[in-house]
Amino acid sequence: MAGLSEKPQALGIDQESAEANKNSSSNKKSVHNRLLEKDKEEGGQGGDMSPSAGSSIKRSGSRPQLDVSKAEIQGNVEEKYPTILLPNQSDDLSHLALDIGGSLIKLVYFSRHEDQSTDDKRKRSVKERLGLSNGNRRSFPILGGRLHFVKFETRKINECLDFINSKQLHRGGAESPYADGATDGNAIIKATGGGAYKYTDLFKERLGVSLDKEDEMDCLVAGANFLLKAIRHEAFTHMEGQKEFVQIDPNDLFPYLLVNIGSGVSMIKVDGDGKFERVSGTNVGGGTYWGLGRLLTKCKSFDELLELSQKGDNRTIDMLVGDIYGGLDYSKIGLSASTIASSFGKTISEKKELEDYRPEDISLSLLRMISYNIGQISYLNALRFGLKRIFFGGFFIRGHAYTMDTISFAVQFWSKGEAQAMFLRHEGFLGALGAFMSYEKHGLDDLMVHQLVERFPMGAPYTGGKIHGPPLGDLNEKASDRNSKYLISWMEKFLRKGTEITAPVPMTPAAGTTGLGGFDVPLSRGSSLRSDASALNVGVLHLVPTLDVFPLLEDPKTYEPNTIDLADPSELEYWFTILSEHLPDLVDKAVASEGRTDDAKRRGDAFARAFSAHLARLMEEPAAYGKLGLANLLEMREECLREFQFVDAYRSIKQRENEASLAVLPDLLMEIDSMDEETRLLTLIEGVLAANIFDWGSRACVDLYHKGTIIEIYRMSRNKMQRPWRVDDFDLFKERMLGTGDKKKPPHKRALLFVDNSGADIVLGMLPLARELLRRGTEVVLVANSLPALNDVTAMELPDIVAEAAKHCDTLRRAAEAGGLLVDAMINSSRSSKGKSSSVPLMVVENGCGSPCIDLRQVSSELAAAAKDADLIILEGMGRALHTNLNARFKCDALKLAMVKNQRLAEKLLKGNIYDCICKYEPAS
Amino acid sequence: MDPRRAETGKNSDQIQSGHVYHLALDIGGSLAKLVYFTKNDEHIVGSEKKKSPMKASGISNSSRNSPVLNGRLNFKKFETSKINDCLEFINSMKLHLGGCQQPESPGSQTITIKATGGGAYKYADLFKEKFRISLDKEDEMDCLVAGANFLLETIHQEAFTYMGNQKQFVWIDKNDLYPYLLVNIGSGVGMIKVEGDGKFERVSGTSIGGGTFWGLGKLLTKCKSFDELLDLSYRGNNRAVDMLVGDIYGGMDYSKIGLSSTTIASSFGRAISENKERDDYKPEDIARSLLRMISNNIGQISYLTALRFGLKRIFFGGFFIRRHPFTMDTLSVAVNFWSKGEAKAMFLQHEGFLGAVGAFMSSDKHGLKELLANQKVERPPSKLSFSLDQTQVPQQDGELNGDESIECSVYGA
Repeated sequence: MAGLSEKPQALGIDQESAEANKNSSSNKKSVHNRLLEKDKEEGGQGGDMSPSAGSSIKRSGSRPQLDVSKAEIQGNVEEKYPTILLPNQSDDLSHLALDIGGSLIKLVYFSRHEDQSTDDKRKRSVKERLGLSNGNRRSFPILGGRLHFVKFETRKINECLDFINSKQLHRGGAESPYADGATDGNAIIKATGGGAYKYTDLFKERLGVSLDKEDEMDCLVAGANFLLKAIRHEAFTHMEGQKEFVQIDPNDLFPYLLVNIGSGVSMIKVDGDGKFERVSGTNVGGGTYWGLGRLLTKCKSFDELLELSQKGDNRTIDMLVGDIYGGLDYSKIGLSASTIASSFGKTISEKKELEDYRPEDISLSLLRMISYNIGQISYLNALRFGLKRIFFGGFFIRGHAYTMDTISFAVQFWSKGEAQAMFLRHEGFLGALGAFMSYEKHGLDDLMVHQLVERFPMGAPYTGGKIHGPPLGDLNEKASDRNSKYLISWMEKFLRKGTEITAPVPMTPAAGTTGLGGFDVPLSRGSSLRSDASALNVGVLHLVPTLDVFPLLEDPKTYEPNTIDLADPSELEYWFTILSEHLPDLVDKAVASEGRTDDAKRRGDAFARAFSAHLARLMEEPAAYGKLGLANLLEMREECLREFQFVDAYRSIKQRENEASLAVLPDLLMEIDSMDEETRLLTLIEGVLAANIFDWGSRACVDLYHKGTIIEIYRMSRNKMQRPWRVDDFDLFKERMLGTGDKKKPPHKRALLFVDNSGADIVLGMLPLARELLRRGTEVVLVANSLPALNDVTAMELPDIVAEAAKHCDTLRRAAEAGGLLVDAMINSSRSSKGKSSSVPLMVVENGCGSPCIDLRQVSSELAAAAKDADLIILEGMGRALHTNLNARFKCDALKLAMVKNQRLAEKLLKGNIYDCICKYEPAS
Repeated sequence: MDPRRAETGKNSDQIQSGHVYHLALDIGGSLAKLVYFTKNDEHIVGSEKKKSPMKASGISNSSRNSPVLNGRLNFKKFETSKINDCLEFINSMKLHLGGCQQPESPGSQTITIKATGGGAYKYADLFKEKFRISLDKEDEMDCLVAGANFLLETIHQEAFTYMGNQKQFVWIDKNDLYPYLLVNIGSGVGMIKVEGDGKFERVSGTSIGGGTFWGLGKLLTKCKSFDELLDLSYRGNNRAVDMLVGDIYGGMDYSKIGLSSTTIASSFGRAISENKERDDYKPEDIARSLLRMISNNIGQISYLTALRFGLKRIFFGGFFIRRHPFTMDTLSVAVNFWSKGEAKAMFLQHEGFLGAVGAFMSSDKHGLKELLANQKVERPPSKLSFSLDQTQVPQQDGELNGDESIECSVYGA
C-alpha cells in the first residue's frame, strides 16, 4: 500500500529529517543509515537491524524522504517517467478549500504524498515480471495523498488563519505545478458559504490570498456525491440511538434527496454529478430552532440550547393526543396517547408565564417540532420525486443523536417504515469538500472506494484547538521550523496533559440512552451532549491510487472481510479486554525496539495513552470511526504505533527468531526430503500449522515462548498435530495436488501465499511449502505486509530471509534468482537469467497493508497484478485466514491454514478448543 | 363567550324562547363549539316564508310522519378553558324543558347530547355532575367529514378562495366534489382524504398548528387571547424576525433556485445573529412571523399531501383560520408557491364548526340531510344558502364568527 509504505506521519517527520540534514553531524548519520538500508534492500547482509542512536528519526527504507539524497535518487531513476513531485523541503503540495458558515469554518486540505518507492529494486523486479509498466498502471492524474478535515469556530477566525499560515497551506497551491494559475502573492483559495463573501478582505490582508467563491449548493452536492461514492461507510441510519452503516453501491447512488439543514432547509434532488435541482425546502430550520430558542430561553449558544434539550421533557409544553383524549389512545387513526397533537399546545390552556416553564422542556419541544417537521416534508418530497434515499446534513444535525432519531422517526412514521433517513459521517464538511472538488485537475473525481483509507490519528487536529491535537496558539511559529516544533510541542502536550487531551474522545456516551420509543415521550437521555459530530470522528482520508480490489474475489460486492462482528457488545468487550491486557507488553516491546531511550519511553507512554483513548472511545461508541470490525481494531493499533513513530516494535524479536529458525532450516529440509510424496505433503501442511503457533499477537503463545526454544516448540507442536483437525479438508487438497491413482492433475500455474509471522512461521512453515510448490512447477508469490504489524513478516524483510534460506537449498535459490529476489545474482546476469532460468520463479509482493488482517478490497496494485495468473491462494494465520477471510470465496482454489490460538475464537467459530487447527480447502467453483 | 353577550346578541331571543330543538358539541383543545337548532316562532317563520326554500311544500310530503319544523341552525363557541361558561350556556337553554329529543324526560332525568372532540371525553364527568347531561361521543373525524360534506354539498356559498385580499366564492359541483383533502387546523392539524360520505382516511397531519401559534405566541408576547395575538400579527412585519433570502445573499435574489430576496429563508432566523433580547422585538413582528411560519408550513404539507394522493382540491378548516385574512392569505400563498400556481387553497365559511355540524348530523332524528336532499330535487341547490352576517363580520374578529345561524328546517321528533 503506497500510502502506508510512505511515512506514517503526515506531519513533522519530513521536517524533522530536513532539520537533521541541516545539522551536519546528523546529516551524515542519516545518509549513512540510508545507505545501509539500501544495502540491505539490495541483498546485502549488512545488519542494520540494531537500534541506533538515530533511530528515533530513522525510517524503513521504502519510505520516501523529502531530503537531498532522495532527490538524487529520484532524479536518476525516475527521469524517464514524467512525474511528479519535486523534492520539497517545506510542506507537501497541498490544496485548501474553505466553507465559512455562520458559526463554523470548515477546512479541507490535501497534502500530496508521492509513491517514491519505485526505486526499490525488489519492486522493480516484481513490476518487470508482472508486467507493471510503471508505478501506476493507470495514468492517474493524482498521486497519493491525504485529505484533512479541520473545523474552527467562525468567531475565532484568527485561529483558522494562524493554522493556515503555520502550515503554509495557502502557499502549497502556489508552489504546485497543478495550481490553477496561481502566482506567488496572488494565491487563490476556493471558498463557499456566506463567510466567503464576508471575510474576503481579511484573508487578503492576513494571508495575501484571494477567496474564489463557489456556489454553495454546487459545493454541497459535489461534496455529498464524492463522499457517498468514495467512502465505504459514509452513510448511516440512526434509529433509537443505534447507528447502522449503510453500504451504498456507487453505481446505484442516484437519484437521491439531499436535505441540508442550515438556518433554513434546502431539499435537493440529485441526479448525478453536477446534475441537481433544489426541489423544495422549508423556512422552519436550524435558524428557527436557535432563534426561537434564544427568545424563549436564556441560552447563549446553539450548543447550549441543544444541550438543554437533553434534559427536557416535552410533555409539559406539547399537547399530546393523550391530553386531548384523556389518556386514551386515539387508536382509530393510529396515534398513541403520547403522540404530539400540537407542539407548544399545552402552553395555551394554562395560566403559566414563560418563566414558569423549564428552558430544558422548551428546547426539547422546539427540537422535536422542527426535526419532525423536516423529516415529514423531506419524506413527502422524496415520495413525490420517486427518490429512494434521503440524506440529511447541515449544521443543525451536528451528529446530535436525538436530532437524528427524531428525523429518522418522522421519516419512518410517515413512510410507514418504507423509507429511512440517512446521515453522513462527514456531514459538516460537504460544502468544504465540494469547494475542494471545484479545483480543476485534482482528479479526485476518479477515485474509487478502494483507493481511500481513513485513519484516525491523534495528532490530526479535527476541531481547531479544541478537541484534540495541539492548542493552536502553539502554531504561531516561524514557517521554517514549524512542523518539527509542531510535532514536538504536540507530543509534549499530549504527555503533560495526559488524559486531559482525550484525543478524539469526547465525551460521554449516549449509547442506549437516546432511545425514542416512537414519536413519543423520549426516554431519559445522556447527561452530556455529543454535539458537533464528535460522536462520529472524521479521520484523515488517505488517497492511495495504487490500491486495487483483489481480482480473485468471487464477488467483491458482497465480500465482508471481518469474520467477527463487533456489533455484538460482548464480543466487543472481549476484544477490548484482550487488546488492553496486551498493551503493556506491546509498549515494552516498542520501547525496547528502540533501545529504551528516553525519547522512546516518552513516545511509548504517549502511544499507550492514545491507544487506550481510542479503545475507550470505541467502547463507548463502536461506530465512531465507521463500521467496526476486528480487523479495523487491530489495524488501528498498528497505525497508532506508527503515529508515535514506532516503526517496527518487533524488529529485534523478528530478527532473532528469523536467525534461529534459519539455523535449523537445513535439518528440517533434509528430513522432509527423505519422505515420500504423500507423507511429505502432509508433513508440510502440519509444519505450516505447527509453525503458526509462533505468534506474538496471541497471549497464549507468548506464554509458551518461555518454555522452550523455537525448534523444540515447533517439533512439539508438529507432533501434536492429530488429524482430523477441527476443519480438515486435507484429503481434498491432497487429491488436487497429487491426484488419485493414475489421474494426475497438472500443477497450479501460480500460487499466492499470504504469509503471517516472522521466524518459524515463515521459515519452517511457509518456505518449505513454497519450495514444494516450486518443485512441482508452480510459480510462487509470497504475499507479505507492506508495513510491520506485530511480528508479521514484511515484504521488505522477505528477500533477506529467502536469500539466507537459499544458501542451503538449490531449489529456493534458483527460484529466487528467477524471481529477481537475489539481487546480487541479478546484477551479474540480469539479462540472461530471465530467459535461461530453468526454475519457475519465487517472487515477493507486498499486500498493501500494515495490519495483521487483510481487507481484500484494498490491496496493492502489485498484488492485484500478481493475482492475474494465479490459480491457487493459500491464506495462512489467524489474522488473514480466521479473523478475516474465513468466509471469503475466491475464483480459484483456496487453502486456508491456521492454528486457533484463542479459546473464545475456537469456541465461537469452530466449536473447538485452543490450538485446534483448520485446513480449509475450497476448490474453484 | 360571555353569556351576557349572548343575551344582547341577535340569537338571544331564540335561546330565551326555549325552542332549542337539538344541540351538538365539539369540544376541542382550545375551543368548544356548539351547533343548535332553534325552531322559528310562527312569527318568524311567517315573515320569512316567501324567502325560505326550506319551507317548501315538498318537504311536508316527505315520507316521514314527523312534522317539519322550520328554524335556524345556530353556531356558537367558547374557549375550552372557560368550559363552565359553555355549561352555563347550555343550561340556560333549558334543554330539558325545550324541544330536546327527550319529550318524556322530566327534570330529573339525564339529558343526552351528541358531542365530539377530545373534550367530549375529558369533560364527560363534568357535564354529568353539574347538569346531568350525558355526552354521547361521536368520532371526531366522522363528524368533521360529515360536517364538511354537508356544508360543501348543500350550502351554496360555503367554499371560497382568498388571495391578496380577494375573497372569491367557488361553486362546487356536488357531483364533482370528491375526492378532496380536508385540512382541519385545530390545535394540531389533521389532513383527511375524503372520498365520499363516510368514506375518508386521515392521511397526514402535523403537530404545528393553531395550538403552536397560540402557545408560542403566548410565551413570546404578552397576549391574553388567541384573537389578540391574531390582531397583533396583522400589524406586524416579519422582516424584523425572519431571515430572508436577501439577508443571506446581500439583497440579491438567489434567482438560480427561484427564490426571491423576500422569501423567508429561516423563520426566526434573525433572532440568532443579533444581540437583542426578547423584549427588544415588537410583539407584532413576532406574531406575524409565527403566523407566517405556521401557515406556510401547513400550506406546504397540505399541498404535498394532496399531490401524493392526487387530490385536486384542498379545503382548509378549523378554528385556527377564523376567517383571518392574513392567515388565509398565507396559506393560499404557500399552496400557490409550492404548487407553482397549480393548486389553490379553499376555505369554508363555517370552518370552525365542521365537527359540531357533523355531530349534529349524526343524530338521525332530525333528518336534516334527507330533507335537504329532497329539496334539491325540487330546487337548485344554489338557493339553499342561508348564511348570515358574512358581510358584516369584521374579518379580523373571530369571535363574531361564532354567532351566526343558518335558516333551515328539520323534522320534529
